[in-house]
Amino acid sequence: MRGQALKGYLFISPWLIGFALLVAAPFIASIYLSFTHYDIISPAEWVGGSNYKRLFTEDPLFWKSLVVTLKYALVAVPVGTVLGVGMALLLNLDVRGIRFYRTAFYLPSIVPMVASCAVFSWVLNPHIGLMNSILRGIGVEGPAWLTSEPWAFYSLVMMSLWSVGGSMIIYLAGLKDVPASLYEAAVVDGANAWQRTVHITLPMLTPVIFFNLVMGTINAFQYFAQAYIMTEGGPEDSTTFYALYLFQRSWRYLDMGYASAMAWILFVIIMLITALLFKTHKKWVHYGR
Amino acid sequence: MDGERRRKLKKAATAAGACILAAFLFGWFLESPEPRKYPEREPVVFWHMWTTEWKVIVDDICTRFNESQDVYEVIPLSLPKGVADSKFLLAAAGGEPPDCMAEWHQVVPQFANSKLILPLDEIMTAEELATFRSQAYPIAQKISAFNGRPYCMPLALDVRACYYRLDHLHQAGLIPASAPARVATQAEFEELRAVLPQTLEELTEWGRKLNVFDSKGRLVRLGFIPQWFRMFASVFGGGFYDWENNELLISTPENLQALTFLAEQQKAIGFDRMERFLSSLTTSHGADWPFATGKRSVSIDGQWKVQQLHKFAPDIPYMTTPIPPPKSGGKKMAGWVHGNFMTFPKGAKNTAGAWAFTLFWTGQDNPERASEFYTRAGWLPPSPAIAETRRYRAYVREHPQFQTFIDILASPNIESTPPVPFQLQLYDLIKRADESAMRGSLTPEQALRKLNDEVDEILNRRKEFGHEN
Repeated sequence: MRGQALKGYLFISPWLIGFALLVAAPFIASIYLSFTHYDIISPAEWVGGSNYKRLFTEDPLFWKSLVVTLKYALVAVPVGTVLGVGMALLLNLDVRGIRFYRTAFYLPSIVPMVASCAVFSWVLNPHIGLMNSILRGIGVEGPAWLTSEPWAFYSLVMMSLWSVGGSMIIYLAGLKDVPASLYEAAVVDGANAWQRTVHITLPMLTPVIFFNLVMGTINAFQYFAQAYIMTEGGPEDSTTFYALYLFQRSWRYLDMGYASAMAWILFVIIMLITALLFKTHKKWVHYGR
Repeated sequence: MDGERRRKLKKAATAAGACILAAFLFGWFLESPEPRKYPEREPVVFWHMWTTEWKVIVDDICTRFNESQDVYEVIPLSLPKGVADSKFLLAAAGGEPPDCMAEWHQVVPQFANSKLILPLDEIMTAEELATFRSQAYPIAQKISAFNGRPYCMPLALDVRACYYRLDHLHQAGLIPASAPARVATQAEFEELRAVLPQTLEELTEWGRKLNVFDSKGRLVRLGFIPQWFRMFASVFGGGFYDWENNELLISTPENLQALTFLAEQQKAIGFDRMERFLSSLTTSHGADWPFATGKRSVSIDGQWKVQQLHKFAPDIPYMTTPIPPPKSGGKKMAGWVHGNFMTFPKGAKNTAGAWAFTLFWTGQDNPERASEFYTRAGWLPPSPAIAETRRYRAYVREHPQFQTFIDILASPNIESTPPVPFQLQLYDLIKRADESAMRGSLTPEQALRKLNDEVDEILNRRKEFGHEN
C-alpha cells in the first residue's frame, strides 16, 4: 500500500513541484510583501500595516474599484444565472435541430476574449456600431456605450452575457440528470409544465446553480481582461475593477507591496462571500435526498 | 459507400491527420532560432517596441551598425508595447536584462530611482558627456535627466504642432484667395504662416467656423478643438515642474487658466458630441488619419505625420505652425514633448557594445551618418548637429513643413513630463484631471485641487518611506 502511495506521489510530483514553486511559494511570499514597500528591483522594505492603512483610509480609488466590482458581481452574476438557466431549459426541449442550437449558443463562450472585445468595440461604437444602428432604426439615439457613464459599466455587463453558453452547458448537463420518474409522478399528480419546472426542475438544478453561482462570483471579483482591453478603467474610473486597479498598481506603478495588500484583501473578501454562500446553501440547495 | 469502405477511409483519414500533427509538432520542436550572422563577435541584445514600417528602419540601423565594425553584433528584438516594461523588469530582476532597451513610456525616473538603469555619466567618457551636454537640445537633456544626472540617451524627439487643411481654409474664406493653395517652397511656407491665426482665441474661432454638422446636429467635420491639458499648460505659460528648484507645480494660476480654457471649448461643442465623433474615426495613423480624410480641418499632431502625408496622401494641401499662444499670458512655441530614448540596464553583459551602438545611431561622433537614419524615418534628432547636416537640410527643403517642428525643438518653452520617480502615475493623474474637467464632472478648480491633493499624498507617502522626492 505504501509502495503504491509512493508511486502515486511520484507520478503527480511534476504537478506538486510546479504547484509548490509557482503557486504556493508566491502565495505565501505575497503575505510578507503586503507589509513592505517593494518595486521588484530594490529589496523589499518593511512598512508594517502602512499599505493596509492607506488602502482603507487614504485611497478613494481602492473603494471605488471595490464598489464597481461588487456592483458587477451583484448585477452580472444573477443576470447570467437567470439567462444560463433559461437558455438551458429551452435547449433541453426535444425539437428539431436542437443540436445545432446548442452548438450555436455555446460557441461564443469559446471565442478568444480579445477577439470578442474587438467585435464588441465595433458593435458598441456610438456612431457606426450595430447596436446604435438598430436603435436608430426604431427612432432612438443610443448612448456612447463605452465612453460614457454609466453605460460603459453596463456595456461590460451586457458583454459578459455573450459567453453565458459556458454555464449553460453545465445547467444542461444538470437537467439531463433529473430523474424522469419525478416528472412521471408529477404528470400522474396532474402538475402542469410550469409547476413541473418550479417544483421539480429548478429544485433539482440547485446544486448546479450553486456551483455556477460560487464560480461566477469568484470570477466576477477577478474581472479584468475586458475592462483592460475595452475601457482601460474609464470613463472616469467607472470601470476600474478591483483586479484592474491591482494590475495598474503592481505593473504600471511598480507598487508591488501595495498590490500584494490589495490581493490579500481581495482574497479575504472572496473567501467571506464564498463562506456566506456555503452557509446559506443548505436552505435552498436540494441534493435530491 | 458500404460500411467496410467507410471504415477504411476513416482509418486512412485518421492516420493522415496524425501524420500531419506529428510533422507540425516535430517542426515546431525542432525549429531553431535564426542563426547569428557574426557568431564570433560579442552579442549586444537590444530590445525595443517598434513594429511595422518603423521596425524595418530600426532593423536596418542594426544591420548597418553590424556591418560598420567587427567587434559587436546587435541582436534586435521587438516586444509588444503592452508587455515590454514588465518583460524588461522581470528580465532585470532575474539578472538577465538586455544590453540596451529603447523606451518611450514615462519610466526613466522610476527605473533610475530603483537603480535599474545606469546613469549615462558612468557609460560615457568625460568628453562624450561634455559633448552631450553642450550639443543636445535642452529638451533632450530634460527628458534624460533624473536628480541632475542623465539616465537615457534620446534617440528621437516627438514634438507637436498645428496642421491646417489649406483647402478647408480657402473654402471657408478664412485665408485670402491670393494665399498659396499649397506649400511647395520656403517662400510659400512663410507667406502662409503670416496669414494663419496668431492667437489661440483666433484659432478656436476659426475652428468653430470650420465645424460641419449634419441635419441631426451630429459633428461631421471637426474644425479645431484644443485638447490635452499636458500640452496646453505650457502654452498658457504654466507647466508642471520648476526646473530650477526641482519642484512639482500643479495648482498654478496658469495651469488653471489652461484647464479652464480647454473645458470651456469642450463645453461649447459638447463632450458627448465630441466622443461620438471621435469614436467614428477609424485610426489616427497613415492614410486613415482624420486630417488626411478631411474629417478634421486643424489638428494638433506630431512631426511623423509630415512623412506619412507625403507617403499616403501627397495631394493634400496643408500647412503647419506652432500652437499659437493665448492673447495674454501665454508663451510662443510651447507644448509638451516626449520621445524615444535608449536605456542601459544595470547588470547587462555588454554595456560597452550597447553604448557603441547608441553612439552610432545618434551620431554624436558623426552627425552626417546619423542624418541618414533620421531623414529616412522622419525623426527629429536629439541634437542640432544632425539637424544642420547637409542631408537633413535637404530633407527639410523637400518637406518645408518639417521646419516648424525643428523650430519648436529649440524653444525654451516646451516641456516634458516632470522627472519624478512616479512619473507614470503623475502622467495618469494629469490625464484623469483633464478628463474630469472636460466631462464637466469636476470644475477645473476642483480637478486641479484634486490633482494637487493626489500628488501631495504620493509625496507624503514617499517621505514616509524615506525618499527625498
